[in-house]
Amino acid sequence: MESQIDMTFDDIRGKQNAKLIRFIGDMDATNIETVHEKVCNLINEGIISIVADFKQLRYVNSTGLGILLHFSKTAKEKGGCFKIANINENVYEIIEIIGATTLLEIYDDLEDAINALT
Amino acid sequence: MGSSVNIEIREVPRSDGVVILHFIGDLISDSVKQINECISGVIAKSKNYAIVDLSESNTISSAALGEFMGCRKRLVEKGGDLVFTGLKLEMRTKLNLMGATKIFRIHSDIRTAINAYKWDIERQPEKIHVSFPPFLKVVPPLRQLVSRIARQKGYGNRDSFRIETIVDEICNNAVEHGKSGPDEMIDLIVIIDPDKIEIDVRNMSDPEKIESLTAQLLPENSKHHKSKPDVKRGRGLTLIKMLSDELSVECTEQGTSVRVKKVREE
Repeated sequence: MESQIDMTFDDIRGKQNAKLIRFIGDMDATNIETVHEKVCNLINEGIISIVADFKQLRYVNSTGLGILLHFSKTAKEKGGCFKIANINENVYEIIEIIGATTLLEIYDDLEDAINALT
Repeated sequence: MGSSVNIEIREVPRSDGVVILHFIGDLISDSVKQINECISGVIAKSKNYAIVDLSESNTISSAALGEFMGCRKRLVEKGGDLVFTGLKLEMRTKLNLMGATKIFRIHSDIRTAINAYKWDIERQPEKIHVSFPPFLKVVPPLRQLVSRIARQKGYGNRDSFRIETIVDEICNNAVEHGKSGPDEMIDLIVIIDPDKIEIDVRNMSDPEKIESLTAQLLPENSKHHKSKPDVKRGRGLTLIKMLSDELSVECTEQGTSVRVKKVREE
């Protein structure tokens, strides 16, 4: 049984080439390919500024974290960004332990992340 | 009117400090003396954990309940407890209304009460052994199972989440680096006690994949993976190392065993 992860995609008012992605569920080795494919398709279509809302993301493991770093790097290379908001404490701790808090753009709330889009 | 209760006293094999007190009949005011004498006798025999079985009692008076409270206090002072089991719904509701469920622990059956004694008083560990085929999709329910058991055993949210992560990472590594095929089972052994959890994952090594697993253990590689955004995988063991108190990996051509000890923090 794969872990359940749902993703919803919304435009961000006033921001071109940008999308808000809400992640709901667990991100792990069983569904990482799906997540990778969906986000990379967006970036390849020119949506290079992404805000990820983690409010309902319960769990991320090291594979999930690796993919988040990949999204951030790929978006930056194309002149965009991959910003994360509303991370729960447990997930933040995993990111912190891996030493990735400085590599990812993390915001306390969604509004801050959206306002930080150029 | 005299007391209408009979008390059967049973000892529990291999648990010297425990006694089962089976009360047969209604616990009324006149039962108070009998309850008191019974508990005094139990304490005199150094049985400090009394499991009071009320499966054959329909009523408990406030005086009898008060006596049980006093008896419980005496047992707790000696490092034990007095717990109830076998309560009928009506009696449980009554105890609830009287506020007694905040004082007494109530167990659904005698076996559960004995297990609680072994956990709380003897601090005996519990062991879980699961064999599973090397498929990634099997890992999420397993990691959630172990995390829920930890939470049920009183581990806090943070500890339980860390345990879930450790189980996830070790099992994923076993699937990724071990032999594949539905007959190549992976063993997950978890030993949990009130102070710590030990996790051991064993599987048959795939000689072609051993190198990539052992490479993760090299300090220079874990540092490299931690800080490199272009590296998608290979952070699992680093994460386990950071989340646990002890990590050992035994990797031979016969098999691989990854052992982790995580001390309870909360």
